[in-house]
Amino acid sequence: MEKIFTKKVLDNGINVYLLPTDKFKTTNIKVFIYQNLENNLVTKTAFLPFILRRGSFRFPTTQQLMRHLDNLYGASFGTDVLKKGEQHILQFRLDLVNSNFLPDNVNLLEEGLDVLKEMILNPLTENGGFKKEYFEQEKKILMRHIQSLFDNKMQYAIERCFQEMCKGERFSLYKYGRLEDIDELDASELYTYYKDMLLRNPIDIYVTGKLDEEQTYRLIQEKFGFERHSGEKLKPTLIDKDVEKVKEVIEKHEISQGKISLGLRTYTTYGDDDYYALLMASGVLGGGPHSKLFQNVREKASLAYYIFSKVEKFKGVMIISSGIEFKNYKKALDIIKEQLNDVKRGSITEQELEGTRKSIINSLKETADSPGALISFYQDGAIIGKQETIEDFIEKISRVGISDIKRVSEKITLDTIYFLTNKGVEFS
Amino acid sequence: MIGEKLYHKKMKNGLNVYVLHKKGYNKKYAVFATHYGSIDNKFVVPGETEPLEVPEGIAHFLEHKLFEEEFGNIFDKFADLGASANAYTNYTYTAYLFSCTSRFEENLNLLLDFVQRPYFTKENVEKEKGIIEQELRMYQDDPHWSVLHNLLQSLYRLHPIRIDIGGTVESIQKIDVETLYKCYETFYHPENMVLFIVGDFDVIRVFELVEKNISKREYKPRGKITRIYPEESKEINQKKVTKRMSVSRPLVNIGFKDNNNGFRGRDLFKKIVTSEILLHMLFGKSSELFWKLYDDDLIDDNFDFDYEGNVDYGFAIIGTPTRDPDKLHAKLLEGIEYYRKKSFEKDDYIRTKNMVTGNYIKGFNSLEFISMLFVGNYFKQINVLDFIEVLGEITFEDVEKRFYELLNPDYHSCSVIEPISTKS
Repeated sequence: MEKIFTKKVLDNGINVYLLPTDKFKTTNIKVFIYQNLENNLVTKTAFLPFILRRGSFRFPTTQQLMRHLDNLYGASFGTDVLKKGEQHILQFRLDLVNSNFLPDNVNLLEEGLDVLKEMILNPLTENGGFKKEYFEQEKKILMRHIQSLFDNKMQYAIERCFQEMCKGERFSLYKYGRLEDIDELDASELYTYYKDMLLRNPIDIYVTGKLDEEQTYRLIQEKFGFERHSGEKLKPTLIDKDVEKVKEVIEKHEISQGKISLGLRTYTTYGDDDYYALLMASGVLGGGPHSKLFQNVREKASLAYYIFSKVEKFKGVMIISSGIEFKNYKKALDIIKEQLNDVKRGSITEQELEGTRKSIINSLKETADSPGALISFYQDGAIIGKQETIEDFIEKISRVGISDIKRVSEKITLDTIYFLTNKGVEFS
Repeated sequence: MIGEKLYHKKMKNGLNVYVLHKKGYNKKYAVFATHYGSIDNKFVVPGETEPLEVPEGIAHFLEHKLFEEEFGNIFDKFADLGASANAYTNYTYTAYLFSCTSRFEENLNLLLDFVQRPYFTKENVEKEKGIIEQELRMYQDDPHWSVLHNLLQSLYRLHPIRIDIGGTVESIQKIDVETLYKCYETFYHPENMVLFIVGDFDVIRVFELVEKNISKREYKPRGKITRIYPEESKEINQKKVTKRMSVSRPLVNIGFKDNNNGFRGRDLFKKIVTSEILLHMLFGKSSELFWKLYDDDLIDDNFDFDYEGNVDYGFAIIGTPTRDPDKLHAKLLEGIEYYRKKSFEKDDYIRTKNMVTGNYIKGFNSLEFISMLFVGNYFKQINVLDFIEVLGEITFEDVEKRFYELLNPDYHSCSVIEPISTKS
């Protein structure tokens, strides 16, 4: 029987999810603070992981923190932001080696939780704001971080496609924020903003690894049981946006390979019963070597090395992404559209259907072998208020038939075609 | 201490099979690898006398082509069995792998079968050229790939490590069916290969299955492969190389050529681990130097370093995006120079050892990581499970000695990618 996270709620409303297991070498802790993805908030929220990892009152320099982590046998601490639909999530992560693999069986869990508590609840401040010196350094670093998206052309082409497609929607915001807001970030204002998030916004703590449930819950209550106000509800993600006309966006730079991205609206999200059919549809279309896109664009037409389709489960948008020769833009586009239409028509072979199903089930089963993937799976369920185990998910995938794929695919609508190409290449 | 048990069996035809049992994992993972990589482009085919020189990128091309069979693509077969298959080629070896959560034995047979069954035709070889050309172009747009490629071309004058693993768009045009078969016959013999399997299964049954599969093929014992590498001098090729690309900011790789080579097995492992400790002590996030460079606004969290050690080559790389490549370069050398005058701190050494231990143990959560680590080291005659033991043998003095040996500014190069224009 599959072991699942047990949920308990601290008196202050923080959700605690625990899953004891001896399977891994490590115990992994993640803390999530949820916020609306919003024009006027995005850069503030995005800045927090940068400033918060710099120090606390106990570790006033980042170097001191790093040395402490080394001494905890290479405990890894990290902060980041995630974007799930139109939610913006601040993430803290700590991985600790389990005691049975360490000299003298030292148990690092409590010390690890202390580090997290320090970094989250006791950040280094001066004069009612984040430490000025770090604040100014990290502003520059965030700026470069946003700009560096351009250096990974595949990611850049996907992000740009969604930006163009969802112009005016909150989803178009890049998770690391907007360059134009950085100058205006203020150390005191941002600290107040963060404190407010801690007091009001939803917070989840996930722990999986070698742990005793009762004891771990007690430790978390002790470290994170601070007083909070009644929880703020986040806004729902906008799903039902009509497509009036397909947008085509061409962007030119000096590059060797063209990157094509197609942004589509599926009008189906993880909360819907039809989500499993959508996942199958996307799998048949571009979910691996057995898929229509791989077979036709790569294997038959020899146009690409990589091509895939992927669904964002909270916004219900789909991306198709590939790298091609500049001159093959129209040719590739035609084949891609043809494959999409075949899926919509239900023109799917037994092999494509079953290959996709097996591949999805395989990756679901693999989820249970990685602490990070496991936490992410249950978090996604918690976000939409669905209590689903990996086995439940597999069960639903097992039942999807071609008629379901056809039904869900009929709703899939092409919104934006984005092409990153070379300077000096002309289009007919 | 690590709590892992490794089983080994040598099959009659010379194939070494290793099985690692991971209790409780759904995933099962197998890697079938040959000691044949991009640097092996000049060799004497066993039984022949004249050396054969083959086009650059042919090992990688062969890797792509093995997935093709008379009846179609092998990816489809794995898909039918619910597995996901993949392969990669690097400087010294080529690996074929699958992961699955069901029908493991069928998948394992499929892996063994397809790697032992080449099917190259003029038509399928020509078709692949278009696909690989797009793969090469994808890398050409990757600044991290370009900066490393240029660095190796600067550090090495002759050694084929300076050549791109995939070859060039031009070199792959010269690849044909006959040469592919020659390479295949030379390097894809069980004596030159290894099979590594990890997951939760009956270990004895796995050995039996492999034995049965391999023995039906009647391999003849094969003579030694003579690999011909040019004599590489200690000197570097050029001090600095700069390339302009569509990037948001400059990217730098600074490399130090390791001239203390020729080790294999445990000696090589010790050299590699010592180098890693050294680099962490000097450049890690706990080091003085890292935070000095950070405070000078020259680096950020993307700052990284690595040591790559093999039998006949080795190099350390320090890589980072930076606003000012020249200044960063100078400050890094200054930082290294500082330690030439002042000795290392014992505390740093002990702390780093603890961290390295933890990192190693953490890696064993991931079957992919274990497999990569095992196979990557196997052809250097290293058993990675000896890590904790080897770490125990390393002394503070070893690290100090390694510092003078490896980080010698006389044998270093600097590779820079500069933005084409300022992009808003």
